[in-house]
Amino acid sequence: MIFVVQEAVVNQFRLPGGGFSLLLIFTLMWAILSSQEIAAIGGFIAGLLMDLSPSSSGPIGQWTLLMIAACYAVSYMGSGNESLSGNPLGLTFFITSAVFFIEIAYLVTGALLGVQSSSFGQILITLFGISIWTLVITPILLPLFSRLHAFAFNTRSAI
Amino acid sequence: MRKGSEGRNRLLLIILIVTSLFLITLDLRGVGVLEGARQGTQTILSPFQRAGNVVLTPFKNFFSDITHLGRTRNQIEKLRSDNNSLKAQLANRKNADAQLDQLKSILDLAGTAGFKVINARVISQGSSQSFAQIITIDTGSNAGIKKNMTVLSEFGIAGVVKDVYPNSALISLATDPSFRIGVRIAGSQQIGILSGRGNRSASLQLIDNLTSIKVGDILLSRGSVANRPFVPGVPVGYVTAVDNSAGAIAQSAIVHLYTNFSTLGVVAVVVGAPVSNPGDALIPVKPQPTPLPTVTIYVTPSPTPTN
Repeated sequence: MIFVVQEAVVNQFRLPGGGFSLLLIFTLMWAILSSQEIAAIGGFIAGLLMDLSPSSSGPIGQWTLLMIAACYAVSYMGSGNESLSGNPLGLTFFITSAVFFIEIAYLVTGALLGVQSSSFGQILITLFGISIWTLVITPILLPLFSRLHAFAFNTRSAI
Repeated sequence: MRKGSEGRNRLLLIILIVTSLFLITLDLRGVGVLEGARQGTQTILSPFQRAGNVVLTPFKNFFSDITHLGRTRNQIEKLRSDNNSLKAQLANRKNADAQLDQLKSILDLAGTAGFKVINARVISQGSSQSFAQIITIDTGSNAGIKKNMTVLSEFGIAGVVKDVYPNSALISLATDPSFRIGVRIAGSQQIGILSGRGNRSASLQLIDNLTSIKVGDILLSRGSVANRPFVPGVPVGYVTAVDNSAGAIAQSAIVHLYTNFSTLGVVAVVVGAPVSNPGDALIPVKPQPTPLPTVTIYVTPSPTPTN
């Protein structure tokens, strides 16, 4: 559902600086609030969908690999850390940082796999653009995603 | 218990990572199934994307427009300027095309008669303030134009050179009230004097009272000594009304001039004429009316029964 919204709605806008990835934000938030097992599976599914996206330039499996690792790591850092999972501001900055590093990892792995990349200046603009958009969008989506997670797992972790 | 859970987590992580590496390997080796999966995703997504495109079209460029507001404004200004320039070019082109058509017709006319002409562009339509029908052309004595030379339009007589300057000349149009030209009726060779009346209809006064004219008669210029001011055989107009009032010394008529003076763009000044008179060779061809199809019906009477 979020993947469809991303592809059919968000990608329709010509957002400056590259815009944001709804699926990436959602998956990372989900991973923070979930166990490592669930986070890894969630990362696998989200990464596979991102790989299958027609706008993806890398080989299928690249996003999958990155998202598994990222979601596992995020979940590992977030589990039991109440100062992170219970603090919307901390969560927002954490997700933004995670998105920033995931994008860098995507660029590095892409370079290793022979994917053509744009100029250095453009890469920098996109990196900072995506980070800023994530910083802006995450607090707006946080309550919704948190309630969705709580509804799915019948927990009281809603922020 | 905790160790078992951690082990399971690690195993799951390893399985997922191996799977993703397997997918990367397959994709890099060009396995068709994965490419098909991406195509399938696009097939599924395309109706949603199309719907999203329809719904979001009014808002799509909102952010882009905000970001490029200054640039967009400059672009709009530039496009407006380009548009105006292109419109002007198009208008000039239309004007040039019309002038070219006129010029072609003039050259056809002059070529048929064997006249040597100098083409000129009308640069001023004159002013009606003094009630004179005068135009200015962009060619003058430097090009060989002299006073009292015949001026042709695409249809026939346009006027006569009134004054000449080095690079321009004043033309007295055939509509000018002071304009006089000797004419003859094509075919019957009757002669008369045509005078301008300020508009496209001129008045004709026949010299010989014994002859008669009729509506539709075509008038040609009679020509002058040494072809100045008028060369012979140039179409002038056709008779639209005849005055047959009793007691008149000579028959008179109203003539519709061939030249459309309101659209004069290009004219030709006759600077040389052949020794031979072109006669009626320059008479414009009348448009042939399309014949109406006739239907013949044969009626055969049926035999009447007799009692």
